[in-house]
Amino acid sequence: MDYILSSLIFLPLLAALVVLLLPLRFQKTMKVVALSGTLLQLVVAVLVYLGFDGNAQANGQTGYQFVEKLNWIGFSLGSLGRFQIEYFVGVDGVSISMVLLTGIVGVIGIISSWNITKNVKGYFLLYLLLMTSVMGCFLALDFFLFYLFFEFMLLPMYFLIGIWGGPKREYAAIKFFIYTLVGSLFILIVMIGLYTSVIDPEATAQQMGMLGQGVPASFDLIRQMQQMLQQGVINSSDMVRTFSIPAMMEPANFIPGSLLHVLSGVTLFDYPIRFAAFLLVFAGFLIKVPSVPVHTWLPDAHVEAPTPISVLLAAILLKVGGYGLIRIAYPIFPDAGAYFATLVGGLGVLSIIYGALCALAMNDLKKLIAYSSVSHMGFVLLGLASLTNEGVNGAIYMMFSHGLISAMLFLVVGVIYDRAHDRTILNFRGLAKRMPAYTAFVVIAFFASLGLPGFSGFIAELLVLLGSFSAPEATGLLPRWLAIVAVFGILLAAAYYLWALQRMFFGKYWIFPELRKKAAISDLNFREYLMLVPLAILALLFGIFPHLLLDKIGMAVAGFTELVLRNGQEQLNMVLSTLIN
Amino acid sequence: MEEQAAQLTQAIDSILAGAGSLLPELLLAIFFLLLVTLDLFKSKAIKRLLPWLAATGLFATLAIQLLGGYTSEGVQFLNLLRSDGLARYSGLLFSAAGIFTILLSLQNKRLEKLKEGRGEYYALILMLVLGLNLMAKSVNLLMVFIAIEVVSIASYILTLTLKEEKRAVEAGLKYVLYGTLSAGVMLYGMSFFYGLTGSLDYTLVSFWRSLLDASPLMVTVAAILIFAGFLFKISAAPFHFWTPDVYQGAPMPVVALFSTGPKMAGIIVIMRFVAAFADASISGAFSDILLFLGVAALATLVVGNFTALWQRTPRRLMAFSSVSHAGFLLMALLAFGSEYMTSVLFYMTVLLFMNFGLFLYLQVAEEKWGVQTLEDFKGLGPKAPYAGIVVLLYLLSLTGLPPLGGFMGKLLVFSNVWEAYSLTGQTMLLVLLVTGILLTGVALFYYIKIPYYLFLKRNQSAENLVISLSNKLLLGFFALPLLVLFFKPDLLLHWIERILAQTL
Repeated sequence: MDYILSSLIFLPLLAALVVLLLPLRFQKTMKVVALSGTLLQLVVAVLVYLGFDGNAQANGQTGYQFVEKLNWIGFSLGSLGRFQIEYFVGVDGVSISMVLLTGIVGVIGIISSWNITKNVKGYFLLYLLLMTSVMGCFLALDFFLFYLFFEFMLLPMYFLIGIWGGPKREYAAIKFFIYTLVGSLFILIVMIGLYTSVIDPEATAQQMGMLGQGVPASFDLIRQMQQMLQQGVINSSDMVRTFSIPAMMEPANFIPGSLLHVLSGVTLFDYPIRFAAFLLVFAGFLIKVPSVPVHTWLPDAHVEAPTPISVLLAAILLKVGGYGLIRIAYPIFPDAGAYFATLVGGLGVLSIIYGALCALAMNDLKKLIAYSSVSHMGFVLLGLASLTNEGVNGAIYMMFSHGLISAMLFLVVGVIYDRAHDRTILNFRGLAKRMPAYTAFVVIAFFASLGLPGFSGFIAELLVLLGSFSAPEATGLLPRWLAIVAVFGILLAAAYYLWALQRMFFGKYWIFPELRKKAAISDLNFREYLMLVPLAILALLFGIFPHLLLDKIGMAVAGFTELVLRNGQEQLNMVLSTLIN
Repeated sequence: MEEQAAQLTQAIDSILAGAGSLLPELLLAIFFLLLVTLDLFKSKAIKRLLPWLAATGLFATLAIQLLGGYTSEGVQFLNLLRSDGLARYSGLLFSAAGIFTILLSLQNKRLEKLKEGRGEYYALILMLVLGLNLMAKSVNLLMVFIAIEVVSIASYILTLTLKEEKRAVEAGLKYVLYGTLSAGVMLYGMSFFYGLTGSLDYTLVSFWRSLLDASPLMVTVAAILIFAGFLFKISAAPFHFWTPDVYQGAPMPVVALFSTGPKMAGIIVIMRFVAAFADASISGAFSDILLFLGVAALATLVVGNFTALWQRTPRRLMAFSSVSHAGFLLMALLAFGSEYMTSVLFYMTVLLFMNFGLFLYLQVAEEKWGVQTLEDFKGLGPKAPYAGIVVLLYLLSLTGLPPLGGFMGKLLVFSNVWEAYSLTGQTMLLVLLVTGILLTGVALFYYIKIPYYLFLKRNQSAENLVISLSNKLLLGFFALPLLVLFFKPDLLLHWIERILAQTL
């Protein structure tokens, strides 16, 4: 059990190694290896989920479970003291949902990839590498480790879209790569600023000889170290600078006089530099979420990507953006988080409405669903910006639920595309007559996505709206009209889904004449059932029994909002007071 | 008369006392002479031996540099040279670069078929490495000039190795013209400095102190004139115009050497030049010089990265890539107050491996597969998968993405710049930092072009491409350190620190 999280990360990598060593002709074996790799990952993820104690106190700084911490890279740069990078992984309530989701979608994606014929070896190799880096991203608690996985995600994705994608795949792949790379470069700037400013009190105590090597520090000693640091009595050469994300959340760990210290008083374009840092990280993750106005890579990437890759992209890669905001941007810069709440929430609402309007205008079913993703991820931003318990719970629930439902949506698009090699809405009519089972799943997916009670999407939207409605009183952060406008997003979602349903599936059976030659319209096959049934059941399960997830994430969210609000208010006052002086 | 004799003996004593610290250079000089002499013989057997002899000389130098022991405190050799840890570590890089150049040359068909001047070619590589070592050790303006000229003259001839080709001649001529011009300008600037101070020992703080009385404008102009020579060697803007032509015309191993050796040596020279600026009173008085360097770094970064976007041939692409790396290294030098030397040397080490690896790949592609333009890479990836994956590693490392050494090098440099910014609050540093990081996005766009053609584009012809075993091994050899330096950079960092600490 000691290395359970590492096995979660590296099982797919191991499978990838096996695939790499297999000779080219064993294509079937490669698929089986990839499937067993992801299945094992799922099993371990479920074990972690079951073993996770949802009642334990947690607030981002502490309360991680299944923690593994090993020294990885450590070097000293003369008078600057030591730098340390750790292999530091752990789960809390925020990541547990993402871990479970990654496990589930990873398996579904492999099943969906079963028909891949072109360069099987390369495909499954890249797929498994992608699974490793996504899982690593959700588990990493060291910023360097997180960044490694975060950037390494791009490369397999680039090739998966660029080699196995549709007609404009090269353009979509490079657009995806450049957009998200620029996002991660923003984050890199802040990462550099953070790790040169933050020390690890425990390791510093060890460095100064106040604590034996390998002895864990007591709470009092850590407090003492932090006080000594703030009083400026620790020599710069004794400081151990760290990439640890939990350490960065504690304002007392910032070196006095460093630029990102709350009291640094340094401004950039009349804003405190901490605000600029927050905005950079925020922009970096915003591209990944994606939110309007940096969402334009998403429709292209989705339309060109092969079905299983679209599934992965929508279901788990986008979640890294929201997750990064909760794990990094908000707890490390709570002051800026509180200050910019209206901006974050406003962008969320803008995405909800603009994404829905775009979806309404699309003729391509896949593009419609891509824009519906933009719209739904807007709820994540809105819930998060409210900083209420309901809102943040809702944001995480939305990420989980959208993961399941968007996987289903892209799979159903894949089904029709496999048969007709086309997915233009207007080219089909009355599909329900020929494909009743398929139509049933489309209806389930559409209704789950538009927030019908009984499905997980409903719980998520309900929580987010509750949170953002109560925010003006509870936290004083968001203006009320934001929540009111967001409700219209749900209406629009109903409009674009029902309209698409009506146009494609109901009425007399008809398909566009030119498609008839190639199209072989038949109902779902076994493999497709195998993917869609579990997802539908899960969407229903988490819609009827939300406590399955909320019990696990509740404590962490309560700790998170408390930490962000408390620190945020305190630090905001401090930052603003240094500006006035 | 007696006084003169006494002075002479004193000088000779000083030279002899300092000779020990010049062991690597002496060794290189001996092997250079040996090669030139043996080249006179007509025997085929001897001619075939020459590359190996040159490699032996470089290996011997490398071994001595690895063992160390010859380094010493203070300046030697009539106050001209300084054999400190910095010179020793960079010397290691130069010897390695020389060896890699020979390894690449032995794989190069056109160089192997060269009718005349083959021995000369290898001798000149030794001479170039000798010059690089002298550059890294110089602490005197005249000595710097001579060392740079040694490197330049060797470079001119090496560019012209394949003289029956029109492109080579064009490249050589351009190189000579630009080179002599910049050398002249540099000498002019040096004469100003000598006139103002009566001394050439520019690395001393006292040298700069004595300049405090002079007109600051005069000092700045003189410094800028000198930098014309230095920036030319590292192909920084606005003295980079020779780069694409020379990279297009010179033999591939020589290009690989140009993209690493002289660039590193030039950076070390500038490093020694601005070392006195760590003293706040001096950097305060001559802040214009730092501003000029900052602007030059910024311009080099921007010009290098953006011009690379429009290139159609891999050689020209790499030329502008090397310009952008020069800008990057220049930026690293401006991070006063932080321990930037270790990071710069670390970055240079990574640069050495990724550049040689990439140029080896380009050499194979050009000679065996007839690749001239980027489009010729179309669909070659799946036909030579091993080489394709390895070249992807080089390119990602050049871009600066994890998990490769290039990322680690950039991270260290950026950290230093950030640290320096938080200490001094100079806006220039912040601008450089942000520009440097964001240009990585641009860099990705042009580096990814090669894998883009390799893997994303299709090619109809079916035959598989063969790569010789020795090339495969070499490609792997250059790629391995990139991974190691990402996952365990502390190994190298500790070692560099130890070497630097020896004599500084």
